[in-house]
Amino acid sequence: MFALSVARRYLFSNPSQTALLIAGVALGVTAFVFITALIQGLAIRLTDDVTANSAHVSLEPLTRVARVLPSPDADVESVAVVSTFQRRQIRAWASTVELLRSQSSVLAISPQISGSAFLVKGEAVAPVAVTAIDPSGLDAISPISTELVSGDANLGADGILIGVRLAENLGLSAGQPVLFRTDRGIDRLLTVRGVFQTGLQSLDERVAYLSIQTARPLFRLPEGVTNIEIKLIDPNSAREFAAFLHEATGLRATSWQEKNASLEGALTAQAQTGTLIQLFSLISVLIGIASALSLSANRRRGEIGIMRAFGVSRRFIAAVFVWQGLLIGMVGAGIGCLSGFALCAWLASLTKPDGTMALPIAPAEGGYVAVFLLTTLGAVLASVIPARSAARLDPLEAIQQ
Amino acid sequence: MSAVLDVREIRMTFRNGDELTEVLKGIDLALEPGELAALLGASGSGKSTLLSIVGLLLRPTTGTITIAGQRVEGFSDTESALFRNQRLGFIFQFHHLLPDFTATENVAFPAAAPAGGITPSMRQRARELLARVGLSDRMDFPARRLSGGQKQRVAIARALMNKPDLVLADEPTGSLDRIAAEQVLDLMREVNREDGATFLICTHDEHVAARCTRRITLQDGHVEGNAQAESISK
Ligand SMILES: Nc1ncnc2c1ncn2[C@@H]1O[C@H](COP(=O)(O)OP(=O)(O)OP(=O)(O)O)[C@@H](O)[C@H]1O
Ligand SMILES: [Mg+2]
Repeated sequence: MFALSVARRYLFSNPSQTALLIAGVALGVTAFVFITALIQGLAIRLTDDVTANSAHVSLEPLTRVARVLPSPDADVESVAVVSTFQRRQIRAWASTVELLRSQSSVLAISPQISGSAFLVKGEAVAPVAVTAIDPSGLDAISPISTELVSGDANLGADGILIGVRLAENLGLSAGQPVLFRTDRGIDRLLTVRGVFQTGLQSLDERVAYLSIQTARPLFRLPEGVTNIEIKLIDPNSAREFAAFLHEATGLRATSWQEKNASLEGALTAQAQTGTLIQLFSLISVLIGIASALSLSANRRRGEIGIMRAFGVSRRFIAAVFVWQGLLIGMVGAGIGCLSGFALCAWLASLTKPDGTMALPIAPAEGGYVAVFLLTTLGAVLASVIPARSAARLDPLEAIQQ
Repeated sequence: MSAVLDVREIRMTFRNGDELTEVLKGIDLALEPGELAALLGASGSGKSTLLSIVGLLLRPTTGTITIAGQRVEGFSDTESALFRNQRLGFIFQFHHLLPDFTATENVAFPAAAPAGGITPSMRQRARELLARVGLSDRMDFPARRLSGGQKQRVAIARALMNKPDLVLADEPTGSLDRIAAEQVLDLMREVNREDGATFLICTHDEHVAARCTRRITLQDGHVEGNAQAESISK
């Protein structure tokens, strides 16, 4: 431990130089924290955007594929062709909902009939993706009722909710009638009850909501549903939960991650870029420490020589420099973590005029423990080079200079 | 009485590329306990080289060295360091104090480093030694604030810290003015008389040599007196 007090003394002997060195380390660590918090924040925001407005797991009937049927004539294989006109549905949806209700990880369940249709208003015709749900569960997956810009969310028996783009395209507004034509060729006059704006163009231009009771005759589904949408308490567990559901129900279960494979790819690429920047900031910190300690070892050649002459061991000399590296690394990393957190917290508090965060930064996700440990460990490793050269100094040469 | 230092047939050849320089050509030298010996010789005659060899800082090409009854020339680096720490004291022309430590800490350092810290008894001894060299009022001064002569006196105290059998001094007064040199020399004489510490002092200075109890002169790689003795006996 005497080596530690010598190391401390050395660092304090030149306070401004030591402060500069520590500031350099802290700056690198701050950069590390910033980039980590930013990348994590971006990932969280993207994930939140996706998971907030869509289901975490979707259940559908298995896709029907053409199957090869066994034939009495071994040379001929006959193919069973499944009618594409037969709508795929989940008949036993009530028992599936029952199963889902019993799962503590499930936040919300929405049995739906999804289909396509056209809205006709005078000469104008627009295709829509229909989501028919139980009106009481309107907000189960996406908070539609909070996104209404006109009208209300009261669907009733003949109501329909449409997006703001669609309303513009067709010249529709709340309270007006519109002709609804399904892909089955069934027509019905519905009333636009409300117009919503999610901010996502695909939704605002293409999606319409109606009551499942209204939809049943229109899509000729008196009992079944086409899909069950599920929200989980923890979106990150969607993959495992989907696998579980597939096992339990035999239905096709798709997690939100699967549906958004490109998002995952983007997040991975982003994380890799982040790792590269983190690596560079760490390396520059370590090079800084190694070179500063090398300079110090060189400047103190005479002292080191005399210590060696009166019998101080090589290990002691090496320990003095390793301790210096450790102290600089620890103090620099500590200050860097604090200033990094302060910077991120400040950036996170900045808002755009509309009240949303200016930068999607997550101050809590700065990788503080990792950067502290990496910097401290790295500082020790960086000090090994100057420590070895100091310990190997020939005392006679050092003294005679 | 057995010799503190006994060197036999020390030869030292330096190699610079293809060029070989034989600096010491067979040195025989013995010091009895309590001697205050001056090592004289022209510049380049090999005084510092011999002192470094005796101080286990340089390996001779051939020859044997016995210090306080121990054969030391075959020691490993680690053994040499330990031996230097426990048995030898060093004073150099340029004090080489640790500038960031106080006078007391500098003196205690040779004891503190292997022990892992300065104990109260080390501090006590360091203070006694500083009082001895007349620096009672400078004990807690950082070494860098001391004058040249004061620094050299601290270096003497440091050399004595571990009660060495032999103190090796290379031009200890070389960088001091007349008065400071005088003080340092008196101090070494006093320590020599009172503690019976054995000194081997390299010097150019006749003035220093005159105050030592013995003169050893190097010439042409030999100890001069010995060479004479050899030629007489032939
Ligand atoms: N490492 C070395 N390599 C080659 N030659 C050396 C080396 N060290 C010393 N010498 C040579 O050995 C000779 C003796 O050097 P040394 O330093 O022992 O002399 P010195 O008697 O102490 O001289 P001075 O009184 O000037 O200090 C010199 O000629 C020197 O050039
Ligand atoms: Mg010399």
